[in-house]
Amino acid sequence: MRIACLLAADLPLAAVLRAQPELAGLPLAIVSGVGPRAQVIAISAEAARAGVRPTSSVVHARSICPALRVRVASPALERAACETLLDVARSFSPRVAAAPRCSGVYAAEAAVYLDASGVESLFRSEGGFAAAIATRACTAGIPAVATVASSRGVSLLAARCIARGLPQGAQNARGSGDKSTHEPQGTDTVLVLAPAEEATFLDPLPIDLLDPEDVLAEALTRFGIRRVGELTRLPRRSLVTRLGPGALRLLALAHGEKDAVPLPSATETRVEEGVDLEWPIENLEPLSFVLRGLLTRLAERLELRGLVCGDLDLELRLAGGGCDTRRIGVSAPHGDPRTLLGVLRLALEHPLPRAAVEGIALATEGRPVRTDQLDLFRPAGPTPSALGRTLAELEALCGSERIGAPLLVDDPHPDAFAQSPFALPRSALKTETAPRPGVAIAALRALRPPVPAEVRAPRGRPEWIRSAVANGPIVGLAGPWRTTGGWWSPERRFAFDSFDARTGDGNVVRLRFDLVHGVWQVDAMYD
Amino acid sequence: MPPLRPISSASVDSSRLERLLRDLGSQVRRGTLPALPPPRCPTGIAGIDGLLGGGFPRGHLSEVAGAASSGRTALALGLLAEATRAGEIVAVVDAADAFNAASAAAAGAALERVLWVRAPHVRAALRSVERLLEARGFPLVLVDLVGREARDACSPTVWSRLARAAAGAQAALVLLAGRRLAGTSAELALEMQPRRACFVGTPALLEELEVQAVLARTRSGLCGAAGRAASVRLHVLGSAA
Repeated sequence: MRIACLLAADLPLAAVLRAQPELAGLPLAIVSGVGPRAQVIAISAEAARAGVRPTSSVVHARSICPALRVRVASPALERAACETLLDVARSFSPRVAAAPRCSGVYAAEAAVYLDASGVESLFRSEGGFAAAIATRACTAGIPAVATVASSRGVSLLAARCIARGLPQGAQNARGSGDKSTHEPQGTDTVLVLAPAEEATFLDPLPIDLLDPEDVLAEALTRFGIRRVGELTRLPRRSLVTRLGPGALRLLALAHGEKDAVPLPSATETRVEEGVDLEWPIENLEPLSFVLRGLLTRLAERLELRGLVCGDLDLELRLAGGGCDTRRIGVSAPHGDPRTLLGVLRLALEHPLPRAAVEGIALATEGRPVRTDQLDLFRPAGPTPSALGRTLAELEALCGSERIGAPLLVDDPHPDAFAQSPFALPRSALKTETAPRPGVAIAALRALRPPVPAEVRAPRGRPEWIRSAVANGPIVGLAGPWRTTGGWWSPERRFAFDSFDARTGDGNVVRLRFDLVHGVWQVDAMYD
Repeated sequence: MPPLRPISSASVDSSRLERLLRDLGSQVRRGTLPALPPPRCPTGIAGIDGLLGGGFPRGHLSEVAGAASSGRTALALGLLAEATRAGEIVAVVDAADAFNAASAAAAGAALERVLWVRAPHVRAALRSVERLLEARGFPLVLVDLVGREARDACSPTVWSRLARAAAGAQAALVLLAGRRLAGTSAELALEMQPRRACFVGTPALLEELEVQAVLARTRSGLCGAAGRAASVRLHVLGSAA
């Protein structure tokens, strides 16, 4: 089995640059918190060239490089960046797994493993495959290196090796073996190790690359063991007896042992993006800018997996504690961030968040892209993607509860109506419609809500009306028809006597007397 | 066998061509594309379809104006019924919030093919119309502005913009209102007038409404001359239903 490893060596920096690409090319420092004493935890290459070093304080870093841009590390952004790496991997292979996060010197790195077996038929070589992964990760905003080896451990070590610019191992590996398996010659982000080359590659590597625990590292240093090859030549039993079970893991890595557990198949379709804000946002307009970035990144990640955006789960972390959680329905899944932003804005306007926003988390369940089979016997309607975008735009304009297909409701109440989510019908041939009447039919126009009317009905039958829609003497009348229902509930109980009435001003209306409340209303007009 | 050569204008002998044309005489003419009439959206109401020359033209803005109980909605539901039964997807932008699903179904409309947009106000309605026309694929878009003060809510240029969008989408954009709104942007304007309501029997039942449709305006003569009228009887299916 062949395993590829995609490694982002400096995740805090990559996460910030992914969210704020305008900072690329500038001296940038990621710090552990707000305030002048916060510690620099990651720096860009430009900042390093200016003399800024990690672990220094913000004040010290700024004194060295006055043009330094400082951003606070955001766990939410880092989580999203990690997930993006996984999404990139999923866009290549169904079997992917995230490497457990390390501590110490490798705390800033994030890695994912992919099943790379049989990729030569798609990418000509494993080198081409690794180059494609690294390029796609870079396009997704996470600069990363990619390696292919026989096990997760070796591929991770190889990735660390080239990420740290250790030339000897890489050159040894590239220099030997068949050239056709090392397609991207000369690149510093890709490395492919043939099974026979792995021992040679691992031998000269420094022992620090194995990320030993502090106690173990100290003991190995005391023994004078600095290279992986020196470790592998030690007797296993004696080493474990002296250094404990932690040495077993190191030995397995050093020997490049194969993994016992296969990579799992990816079934997760939920995608989350988030950001921790350095300053609380009080107004909707600046909040929209942040949301736009989140939605764009969310849509890009969904696109990597061939999905579009479903219902949105928005969580706003509010100043002074508390959380504002909303579920925003997207009736027609699609991936247009501009339209989704409109939907989000509409949802945030009613009601507005009750306090300033300090952090945002946005999640969605990815949905498959809708497809439509063209039908010879059906006129070409809107394409599913165009319809989805249009429905979302209409929801943003009018509200999601106001868009849909009309539905005949099984409810005796005269005011009842309903809408169902609109979707393209599958086939015209299966459409069931009422038979077309042979004559023209008079239509009813509903009045929502019903219009109150002042009616004179001396003998129980209306003779004169005054309302916003019809006035004057009633010159033609039919009815009454009694409609009752909801008798089991005092709140839902209704009883109406309905009449068809033609008034003196020429209008033909449906008039009703509400027996429960004792009022006259006009609930529809013939038109 | 000599190799085949592509025919170019230089290889045609003009004198031979002239001789050939002279010999063939009137049998040869310069080809022209026939001017096809625009496709129509019929209403299914014979009198009105006859008045309009087959229905409302696609690619144009048309308006239906009239007083209450003049048959505007019946005409609109007839349009919906005919289009959906032909398998089309249609949109109803309902700023008046007056769409009655039972009436539409009784008129023969396939409700699952109707996108009903209950716009909260006129501006939202007009912006919704623009979005729907931009989406392409809705051959009929009905806009119900009855009872809404559309004239004050939007500028006059909005109608020409919508007419252009309808032309781009090759959709019939039909505007329902109490009075004419679109002015010169409308390809045709139909004015509906109530005539009488007929009650029959004892106890009385409302049996039918009689209305009159007047073709008040045609811009390019697609539907014949303006000023013609048709009388239509609209049957009432029963209030109790």
